[in-house]
Amino acid sequence: MRPLDETGLALTRRHFFGRSATGIGVAALASLLRAETRAESATAHGGLPGLPHFPPKAKRVIYLFQSGGPSQMELFDYKPRLEEFHGQDLPESVRMGQRLTGMSASQSSFPVVPSKFQFARHGNSGAWVSELLPHTAKIADQLTFIKSLHTEAINHDPAVTFIQTGSQIAGRPSIGAWLSYGIGCETEDLPAFVVMISPGKGTGGQPLYDRLWGSGFLPSRYQGVKFRSVGDPVLYLSNPAGFDGADRRRFLDSLGKINQMNYEDLGDPEITTRISQYEMAFRMQTSVPELTDLSKEPARTFELYGEDARTPGTFAGNCLLARRLAERGVRFIQLFHRDWDHHGNLPRDLPKRCEEVDQASAALVQDLKERGMLDETLVIWGGEFGRTVYCQGRLTATDYGRDHHPRCFTMWLAGGGIKPGISLGETDDYCYNITKDPVHVHDLQATILQCLGIDHTRLTYKFQGRHFRLTDIAGNVVKNILV
Amino acid sequence: MPIRSFVTVVLFGAGLAGAKEPTVEFNRDIRPIFSDKCYTCHGPDAANRKTKLRFDIEAGAKIELSKGRKVIVPGDPEQSEVYKRVASNDPALRMPPAYMGREKLTDAEIGLIRRWIEQGAQWERHWSLIPPKRRPMPEVPEKNWPRNPIDSFVLARVEREGLKHSPEADRRTLIRRVTLDVTGLPPTPDEVQAFLNDAAPNAYEKVVDRLLASPRYAERMAFRWMEAARYGDTNGYQTDGVRDMWRWRDWVINAFDRNMPFDQFTVEQLAGDLLPNPTLDQRIATAFHRNHRTNAEGGIVPEEFRVEYVADRAETTSTVWLGLTVGCARCHDHKYDPIKQKEYYQLFAYFNNVPEKGLVYNFGNEEPYIKAPTTEQEHRLADLDKSVADAEQHWRSLAPTVMDAQRKWERKIARSKTPDWTVTEGLTFHSPLAGRRSSVEVAGCGKDDVHCDLPLADSPAGKGRQFDGKHFLESDGDVANFDYLQPFTFAAWIKPESGKGAILSHYEDYFEGQGHGLYLIDGKIRLHVVFRWTDIGLRVETADPVKLNEWQHVLVTYDGKRKASGVHVYVNGTPQELKVLFDELTWPMDFKLPLRIGAGGGLRFKGAIADARVYRIALTPEQVAAIPLQRSIHEIAALRPETRTKAESDKLRFAFLDRAAPKEIRRARDELRTVQKARQQFWESIPTVMVMAEGKSRDTFVLKRGAYDNPGDRVTPGVPSVLPPMRPEWPNNRLGLARWLVDRGNPLTARVTVNRFWQMYFGTGLVKTVQDFGSQGDWPAHLELLDWLACEFMDSGWNVKALQKTIVTSATYRQASAVTPELLQKDPENRLLARGPRLRLGPEMIRDQALAVSGLLVEKVGGPSVKPYQPPGLWQELAGGEGYVRDRGEGLYRRSLYTYWKRTVAPPFMINFDSPNRETCTVRETRTNTPLQALDLMNDITFVEAARKLAERMMTEGGKEPRERVEFAYKLVLARPPKPAEMQVLMETLDGFEARYHRNRKSAKEFVKHGDSPQEIKADARELAAYTSIASLILNLDEAVTKQ
Repeated sequence: MRPLDETGLALTRRHFFGRSATGIGVAALASLLRAETRAESATAHGGLPGLPHFPPKAKRVIYLFQSGGPSQMELFDYKPRLEEFHGQDLPESVRMGQRLTGMSASQSSFPVVPSKFQFARHGNSGAWVSELLPHTAKIADQLTFIKSLHTEAINHDPAVTFIQTGSQIAGRPSIGAWLSYGIGCETEDLPAFVVMISPGKGTGGQPLYDRLWGSGFLPSRYQGVKFRSVGDPVLYLSNPAGFDGADRRRFLDSLGKINQMNYEDLGDPEITTRISQYEMAFRMQTSVPELTDLSKEPARTFELYGEDARTPGTFAGNCLLARRLAERGVRFIQLFHRDWDHHGNLPRDLPKRCEEVDQASAALVQDLKERGMLDETLVIWGGEFGRTVYCQGRLTATDYGRDHHPRCFTMWLAGGGIKPGISLGETDDYCYNITKDPVHVHDLQATILQCLGIDHTRLTYKFQGRHFRLTDIAGNVVKNILV
Repeated sequence: MPIRSFVTVVLFGAGLAGAKEPTVEFNRDIRPIFSDKCYTCHGPDAANRKTKLRFDIEAGAKIELSKGRKVIVPGDPEQSEVYKRVASNDPALRMPPAYMGREKLTDAEIGLIRRWIEQGAQWERHWSLIPPKRRPMPEVPEKNWPRNPIDSFVLARVEREGLKHSPEADRRTLIRRVTLDVTGLPPTPDEVQAFLNDAAPNAYEKVVDRLLASPRYAERMAFRWMEAARYGDTNGYQTDGVRDMWRWRDWVINAFDRNMPFDQFTVEQLAGDLLPNPTLDQRIATAFHRNHRTNAEGGIVPEEFRVEYVADRAETTSTVWLGLTVGCARCHDHKYDPIKQKEYYQLFAYFNNVPEKGLVYNFGNEEPYIKAPTTEQEHRLADLDKSVADAEQHWRSLAPTVMDAQRKWERKIARSKTPDWTVTEGLTFHSPLAGRRSSVEVAGCGKDDVHCDLPLADSPAGKGRQFDGKHFLESDGDVANFDYLQPFTFAAWIKPESGKGAILSHYEDYFEGQGHGLYLIDGKIRLHVVFRWTDIGLRVETADPVKLNEWQHVLVTYDGKRKASGVHVYVNGTPQELKVLFDELTWPMDFKLPLRIGAGGGLRFKGAIADARVYRIALTPEQVAAIPLQRSIHEIAALRPETRTKAESDKLRFAFLDRAAPKEIRRARDELRTVQKARQQFWESIPTVMVMAEGKSRDTFVLKRGAYDNPGDRVTPGVPSVLPPMRPEWPNNRLGLARWLVDRGNPLTARVTVNRFWQMYFGTGLVKTVQDFGSQGDWPAHLELLDWLACEFMDSGWNVKALQKTIVTSATYRQASAVTPELLQKDPENRLLARGPRLRLGPEMIRDQALAVSGLLVEKVGGPSVKPYQPPGLWQELAGGEGYVRDRGEGLYRRSLYTYWKRTVAPPFMINFDSPNRETCTVRETRTNTPLQALDLMNDITFVEAARKLAERMMTEGGKEPRERVEFAYKLVLARPPKPAEMQVLMETLDGFEARYHRNRKSAKEFVKHGDSPQEIKADARELAAYTSIASLILNLDEAVTKQ
């Protein structure tokens, strides 16, 4: 059985985002397809028949995206020899003519600058973690570091788009949309794919774009739903002032009756779908506020995640919501924390970002573990690329900046399917090139799908005559980090 | 089983009851299997072909294999290797191969291949590459049903499948359907009534003619075209800056309104600039291919994205006109269709000569662009030109008066000492540096006495200071902080002892830093205006060095238009030849820095500087020349006029006009300046639009693996060889390409276009894959009909309105849309067209309908995009900044095609209801049915306000009785009265809401306050709230958001 294509989408079962209205009747087709439909996992809603391809290690993903490109040299990839090279020009033998961004390519010099921040080894695994991430350091044994990620893009828009969709150019579905399409959701009352955004407390950071959680050429119902801290958590969730839940119930009862009459006259199954979508909307009006209401969280929660978690829209608050979404069966939860783009003033600004995310990131892993959910939840932490070892702009005794660096960067993973307490991949003394076990973005994507029981070469969608997939025509599962 | 096979088999093959061993058609039944299952390794892509065996061409499929085996033996599947291999159960033999993870073909597919061979294995060229022909009209038994040939084709097919067509829809349904389809808005109750009352046999045709003549039709058509053209009001990458392309959008509306033939519509948009003596409109039309996304992200490699823009044009052209997925041949030969990678780049080459940049401007249109005044603006401009001409004329007529007055004044000042005059207009900083008094206050000179201890130096402009190459002067205030769009002038007398140093700067004290700096480097005068040294700024230098150890006056002006061409440098009042070192000033600047004299950018000055000035305007050459003059006005006045230099005469005239001109002269001069300024301001307010242009011809190369930095062989422009060749009389450029697309011999353009129109009415094209007519595309449900429509379209002179009329006046279109379980089972997608279309409205129609029935809609064709309601914070949470500032007043109530489209954060309502995101060309219409849509229709302020205003109309125009009022709303929205059972539900619901709001007046008051529009009737809030609830319910009905 191969995944459905453009013409076959209407065949998926009832699903949070309803179904295509192109006209195929559910009832009519369900009977035609019955013979072909394989047993789906008992808890999945939506998704394709035949998926997952094999028993998954993780049921869901929480992806803590650090937007802007956190510096691997200041956080995880310890490079003691840089002190020796301090202020020297990056040797051509290291750079090897590789391209730079237009922001630093025409600098008159490329002085190497070591991290200002101290490193130490942590846990039984002895992982090197920077002093900027003390909480992360404490859970180092839960984490797997990949220090050899590399990407093809050198600027934010194409690089974030690449990680999210497998292509630098707009138009492809995001990873969460692929999962929503492929394996649906564990709950009917919430979307399969939820996105939450927090700005850095500095300038806010680089912009993000709706396409990063978009559905590309997949139908729009697979796109990520933003949970927002301003106004309604989900767009248009609240009834207008002066119109309460009881009014809405009365409204829907009558609406449903009239729609039902119309269905009886016309026989279009689209009408019954619409009736059920309105009922789903009504349920969301209850389930979402219940989800975002933190008043019943014990004090211990806020000790763990930090007091910031009480403030809606902070990274810590979003981490806590991520756990609550995970508990309720949401498939793919993605947080974006902005403002990691430290072209200048890195020593001043990087510590602030770390402070904003460190405790809550670690707390989330810890919390999931304590609740017995870590084994079935894949947690990912990282940005779209790394940063250059040379200083961008003026190097002074106290200040430096770093440009975008696509050739190596670090991420960590934890939880479902991942071997804890290891580090994969090595970079050279300049933290410029990978010397061992390179992991391409497509490899990371293939590995994420693998953890969820999906063969990345077989989750495809036919569009414009081609069977597209998240990993394009590449991607190798990084088996070394899998359990 | 994949669903396409299901459609193939059940609908078009042997699956239907009563059919027995029907003829297998290669194109319909076999090619799709070969394409999808075999082409990857046995198809057009030479790089991937393992052997000579290929199934995309007949010769390749009918080769002889080793040991005398044959791939295909007509009539004998068991001897045909292709059949044996696909039918094999041995994984080692079976094709497609198990080791590649490919599934076995389905039994239905294997059966088709078997029967095809049994029936003789006839091969056909791919259907869409054979030019369309009119085929004989099929005979149908029910001769009085067809209203035009569409119906004969459809009916013949319906009957062949053993089905029956549906009866005609009732008139109310019909007029609502056609009015929404043709104009995007619902019919008014009066229009419905007139149609019901019209007993003429052509009553329906009259309605259609009325609709097609309405400007609303043009707006409706424009919307879909905007999606295909990936129109947006922003650039679409990262910072997603603004652009102005609405003049193109209005061109499209106008073209549909005038019923411009589609061939002309094509030629003007693709190549209007290359037509002989192109009109402004023809040039605006070419904005079609500047609508693609553009990238302004700092640091990108410009060529990488310029290539992306060209690729977008090639691929969009191919999708919109040819229905071919040429994009698949960007990195390698096409895997399914006969398009080579080289041919992709030949198509690419047509669009590769635009004089454009890869890294674009973030705050407005990027070159090439043109001023595109509207007709009204052209009139206004002509009026202003006339006022300027009049004022100039008046000024010239005063010349003798001016001359007389000036002479008198000259005689007076020649006799008595008078203070000298210099240019003070726009002067913002003037530091004579010592001694000599001036009419301008000396701005802070030096923060500490070390600086002020610099020794004095004599200069032609009085005392200056001697700089030692270490110390410098610094202003107290931030006196020269200019944004990049602000003009300025820097000036000073200098006597340099070294060829390197800073003269005047508002710049970090770091050479590769930020700010404005006037330097000497290698003895040449340099201006740096820098946001970021490496990629954002402007740097120019003089061709010749200044003289060392001599006093010279240096002055630089910048006109605020962010280009190096707007920089002029003068030495002693004489313009200097300039060399542009860097010309990318694209970003706002606001640096808090002191103004420094003799320092900046890490440089110091050695020598003397005097009379440093900063103006916040760009001085004119005449003003510039007046500054360094040695003679005071008193001295010049004493000279005989013919012995004065031009600069001296100018200085004297300036001084006279400034200080001594009589009232009449001043008034005339002020008047001239005022009208000139008004004309200039108006000119600047005229919108621009980015257009196509041919710059210097660029070489085009095959890009290996599609990568911008990996060129292979050079190619010249050309069309794919599988299609008819260009004619020799056409130029081999974009214009020729456009003519080729709409040539009668092109097998694709007309088919692809009529298919897209068909999709607008029936939700699905006759070829379902509207964007792909290649071998992976869907087989047309009605090929004969598609071809008839294509021929009809071309033969009518590509008459767009006539084609719409043909479709909507067909009996096929006019059928009722009710569906029986049997028909639903047999033809769930209505591909056979045995019933009328029933489809959820597109997003723009759902909103426009709500505005129309509530009376809020502001109908005004064209103009800049507007910003209706949107939940707050959507822009800020992704990008910070000021965010979305919604309109007040009419901007809230315009039709949705005018809604401002920010590509990275598209309007949420539109996206909720399946609008394409406008990042790339989209021609496929999709419709989903989701809970987020339900929430939107119930709670979005747009619809809550519309419900309130509809309630007001119910209470004022609907009559006195609740039943009348509800009926009124029903007729407005659904074009029909409620049925009794519906009325009963509605009345009970109304009673319920009335009782509820009577219990709680406060809620009622809150509920009737949503939206900016004032309440225009006197009504009790409780009653209005109850009716608002009912109005909202009606707007939420499935029928309300559906055309049925």
